[in-house]
Amino acid sequence: MKRKFIAVIAAAILSVVFAGSAMAQEINAYMGTSPDNNAKIAKFIKDKTGITVNQTFQSCGEIEAKMKAEAPNFSADMVIGACSPQGFLAKKSGWTVPYVSPAWKGVPEVFMDPKGDFYHIATFSFVLVGNKDRLAKAGYKMPESWKDLLDPKWKGEIVMPSPLSSGTANMMRFTFLALYGDAEGWKYLEALDKNIHHYSRSGNAPTDLVGRGEFMLGITSDENVKKRLNDGYPLLWSIPAEGTGYDGTTSFIFKTTKKLETCKKIIDLLGTQEFSDMMAAIGYVTPRPAMNALYGKTLPKFVNLDLGKASDDKAKNNDIWKQKLRTDFK
Amino acid sequence: MAAAELSVKLQSSSGSKVKDFLNANLVNILAAVLFLLLAFFLLFPIVMVLLKSLRGAEGFTLQYYKAFFSKQYYFQSLYNTLLLGAINTVVCLVIGFCLAYMTTRGPWILRKPLKLISLIPLIAPPYLFALSLIIMFGRNGLITKMFDLHWQLYGFSGVVISQTLAFIPLAFMMIESTLMSLNPNLEESAYDMGASEATILRTITIPLLAPGLLKAGLLIFVMTIAEFGNAAILGGRTPFLAPDTYTMITGESDFNMGSVLSVILIAPCILIFFIHNYLLEGKKFTTIGGKPVASEPRKITPLIKVPFMIITTVAAGAIFICFAIVFIASFYKILGVTHNITLANYLDFTSNQSIYNSIRVSFVAALIGAVIGVLLAYVIVRGKFFGRTFIEMASLSGFALPGTVLGIGYLLAFSAPPLKLTGGIMILALNCVFRFLAVGVEAGISKLHQIHIEIEEASADLGASFLTTFYRIVLPIMFPAFIAGFLYTFMTAIVSLSAVVFLVSPGFDLAAVKIFDAAVYGEIGIASATTMKLVLIVMICMMILNFISKKTRLGSSMAPTKPT
Amino acid sequence: MSMNANEKPMLILKDIHKFYGNNEVLKGVSLEVRKGELVTFVGPSGCGKTTLLRLIGGFTDISSGDIILDGQRINDLPPNLRDTRICFQNYALFPHMTVAENVGYGLKINKWPKDKIAARVHELLEMVELDEFGDRMIDKLSGGQQQRVAFARALSLEPKVLLLDEPLSNLDANLRLVMREEIRKLQERLHITTVFVTHDQFEAMAISDRLVVMKNGLIEQVGTPIEIYERPANEFIAGFVGYVNFMDGRIESIDKTTCNAVVHTEYGQLMITLEQDDVKTGDDVLMVIRPESVSLSLDCQDKRQNVICGTLVSYMYAGSIAKCTVMIGNKKMIIDQYNPRDAQQFLHAAKVEVEIPRSVHLLKKKK
Repeated sequence: MKRKFIAVIAAAILSVVFAGSAMAQEINAYMGTSPDNNAKIAKFIKDKTGITVNQTFQSCGEIEAKMKAEAPNFSADMVIGACSPQGFLAKKSGWTVPYVSPAWKGVPEVFMDPKGDFYHIATFSFVLVGNKDRLAKAGYKMPESWKDLLDPKWKGEIVMPSPLSSGTANMMRFTFLALYGDAEGWKYLEALDKNIHHYSRSGNAPTDLVGRGEFMLGITSDENVKKRLNDGYPLLWSIPAEGTGYDGTTSFIFKTTKKLETCKKIIDLLGTQEFSDMMAAIGYVTPRPAMNALYGKTLPKFVNLDLGKASDDKAKNNDIWKQKLRTDFK
Repeated sequence: MAAAELSVKLQSSSGSKVKDFLNANLVNILAAVLFLLLAFFLLFPIVMVLLKSLRGAEGFTLQYYKAFFSKQYYFQSLYNTLLLGAINTVVCLVIGFCLAYMTTRGPWILRKPLKLISLIPLIAPPYLFALSLIIMFGRNGLITKMFDLHWQLYGFSGVVISQTLAFIPLAFMMIESTLMSLNPNLEESAYDMGASEATILRTITIPLLAPGLLKAGLLIFVMTIAEFGNAAILGGRTPFLAPDTYTMITGESDFNMGSVLSVILIAPCILIFFIHNYLLEGKKFTTIGGKPVASEPRKITPLIKVPFMIITTVAAGAIFICFAIVFIASFYKILGVTHNITLANYLDFTSNQSIYNSIRVSFVAALIGAVIGVLLAYVIVRGKFFGRTFIEMASLSGFALPGTVLGIGYLLAFSAPPLKLTGGIMILALNCVFRFLAVGVEAGISKLHQIHIEIEEASADLGASFLTTFYRIVLPIMFPAFIAGFLYTFMTAIVSLSAVVFLVSPGFDLAAVKIFDAAVYGEIGIASATTMKLVLIVMICMMILNFISKKTRLGSSMAPTKPT
Repeated sequence: MSMNANEKPMLILKDIHKFYGNNEVLKGVSLEVRKGELVTFVGPSGCGKTTLLRLIGGFTDISSGDIILDGQRINDLPPNLRDTRICFQNYALFPHMTVAENVGYGLKINKWPKDKIAARVHELLEMVELDEFGDRMIDKLSGGQQQRVAFARALSLEPKVLLLDEPLSNLDANLRLVMREEIRKLQERLHITTVFVTHDQFEAMAISDRLVVMKNGLIEQVGTPIEIYERPANEFIAGFVGYVNFMDGRIESIDKTTCNAVVHTEYGQLMITLEQDDVKTGDDVLMVIRPESVSLSLDCQDKRQNVICGTLVSYMYAGSIAKCTVMIGNKKMIIDQYNPRDAQQFLHAAKVEVEIPRSVHLLKKKK
């Protein structure tokens, strides 16, 4: 009787532990776009190739942390949709598999690493969003220049993500530094800081927060803007006169994967026109020309950026950020 | 050693040398194995964190510590954290005292409902309060909109309020148990001789409670500074150590500084753990002699009664409202913004999936934790080897360690082969096992104290080998402790956030993390619904626990506290 | 001890009822206690004696009835405004204070000047023979010493009535006997009205002026120890205060002049000297036969008055006393032989003779 009991318990443990580890073609991926977009991409892959992609949304920073902690034996097979610093880091550390995919032939160079160590399956930018109702109520118009955000009337009404945790914010930061130069750039950020209510954890959060009317303005990733507009949120969006930055939505294969062929198939898929079409419909700027749902025919004005330098400077910039910007001291 | 003597006395029926050896030394072998487990899963990760904080690119260095102490930003974080701890402790002690006083000496009608409300926060994740505060006082909050408030929820005050509410039950339970162990005759004697209520409090009650209050205060302090959820959700621009550690690792992927922050966070915890267990042990001022007498309600003078009642009502009311708000919000997409009641939040697939995962992880953790806990208890009580107190201390220490630190430790220790555990369910389960081991161990110890060694000796006298005695006598009697450990570990693991936030992997979302993500993202409806589902699960567990402990008279030593 | 019978009672309890929820714990208790008297509430567990004590002290509310202390109705007064002081079973000494501080606590609360406090504390400690112990902490005292400190503390404010709740229950057997005497002596010396609660009937009889035997929330009998023991009012009381053998009988005749009654039992006719007037001829009675009042002899002659034959079933010799069990017919009778003679022979005896004493209390059987 006792033995039976133990056997039942043991069986229960085993089944609980191993339930859900199915057998069909599947890979594990770290994906960093957004919970919604991760799901869309995974579904696309599944529909077109039958491969199941197991993923949980992690921000770019989390993906980088995971990689660093797990190196050189990763729990995932690939990374789909991190930010460019992760790609640079992975290549520099020797964690990637150089694979020149034939499916990516004809795509502009800026979208991939020459040796095929990583690919940008899209680039994303950041935009300014505003809450239509609240702006109307206050009688304000959307700012035309990034410098307009420094106006004291916006005090406490702007949200943007924190570069300490968000790849998007990192992009914003290195864009402003590139736009105004290091010295002026930091001055701008410090002045802007006075109007920022708080820095959110994820790059897409300001879209939601502004869409719900908690704040009037937000500097946010463009990834979710189209979707929220479709959801009916009262959002206005614009790119001020100086232009915006961009960062790659980076994907690469881990050297230690046991499913190399499957991963290659995925990379191939990501270079197709179909994939670009799907991503453009979300609002991304894509490797292959496609109708961008957010920007339409005219892509925004981009500030000139050196992604490699930005990646190298990240730690230094984080340090300066922590020193200079206001945190509440009670 | 008892077991050795037992088996020497017997005629071993099998005759095999190995079996004899096992019988004679089983307790020692078991102890050694358990010690290795503890060392491996509790001490090793902490050591890894310590090492990481000291090891730079070129070897051992103090540069990271130097950076910590020289940069304003980190200093602020530390200062905020300590200040939060101090304020929280004082407020919780005061409120907990008023509540406990009312439930032990107040009018009969009040006692049960008050106790119920004071303990309810235990069944919910601590960050439930952050959530409810956002719903009420956030930028789109109900009350903010209703009264056009301009109060800043995000920041120090928000964190203090939510932390205080979350830890009231802990303060209440500890103070109540001390108050109950205080002989009511003492206060009655003082009353008899003419002391007013205030005088009784001042000259008798509080001085006698002082060691108990101190103990409670220290524990609250430790748990407050280690708690991650509320500070992360409501912190705003105010830095606190626990969320900062998290951002350091996941945002900046700077493991060195992350480890430094962790070490700084552990330091007060370990210090207080020592004071709590070793210096204050036995310094109790409960009565000498006589049996405890149930305390009747006294006529408490208005001077005391009124402020106590006010504090009690406010606290109880706040707790009740927070729960109610979250419950209501679970039926709206975003309470206060959207206006239709919906069940979509409850049916949301990803959050249900995450709850399913949480149940799986917690179940495994509970099972392993209960088994190890019971075995450890046996080894601690019956073993006679050197280092027994050390093992006891080690098994209890999981409680004192901040979850974030253990999470990071596991990440550092178990990401690479041959020790690779990251990316799976086991690392999450094991983390919970060793953090919450203390309850199963304590339950086991208390149960074992009720079994005299003579029972085991009687069994041996009748011909049973050590193993048989253990299997047929000890384990069945310890079963209630096993159940207690199991249920408690299950309940705490399922809402725990601090450690698991580092250890989740693709395709394996946990409910606590899901709630956290949703809350931060502003998806209040989903956060509320998932929270409510967790609360329901925990409530069911508590009822089972209550039922079992009544049936087996386990006693009220099962005070469940909640590190997360 | 003598007292003026016309003196007004110090403490009057009038028809006290106490309910805990629906449970009636005291069902109508009335009592008068004279000044200087030591009255003991005694009874089995749950009889309500402690509740009654706490009611007098003011720690529990009365459901209905009155308590009158020295002419003043004190129902609604809190404990500190009643002139009663209680001494709890577990002494309730303040562990964080010294002996002197404990004893002086009431005085301090009532704002006595410091020097007066010191003097009174000294006086009290002398009275309980602990004057050297003023500076000791409570946990350094023995059980008996703690008892005395509690006592001194209770007396510090010179209460009109002293309430003692099983004060000796926590002491070991020898100490109990010693302390019992000391408390009684002190109480008599101070002439202080005292209500004592105990479950130990022998203790109650040893020190009380009067006993109040309680059962199930009611007073069964109030009387001096002698009255209670020799003339218990019913079976319960008879059995409560000591071991008792009951024997059924019927009164056949009563001689009014000699006060002799002839009682018919199944073992024959017994001659009883009646010292009560509540029974008459024809009544069915229960004879209250105490073990120590019966004489035991070897062999069975069965010829003398009040002598019955029986079989000795067990004889447990313990030096000064031998406890014997004798079967009479199919009824068991317990007999205590003090200063047992012929013990050797009794050990092997079978047939014995039991002599029922002349002076036996009779309980009227309920019809």
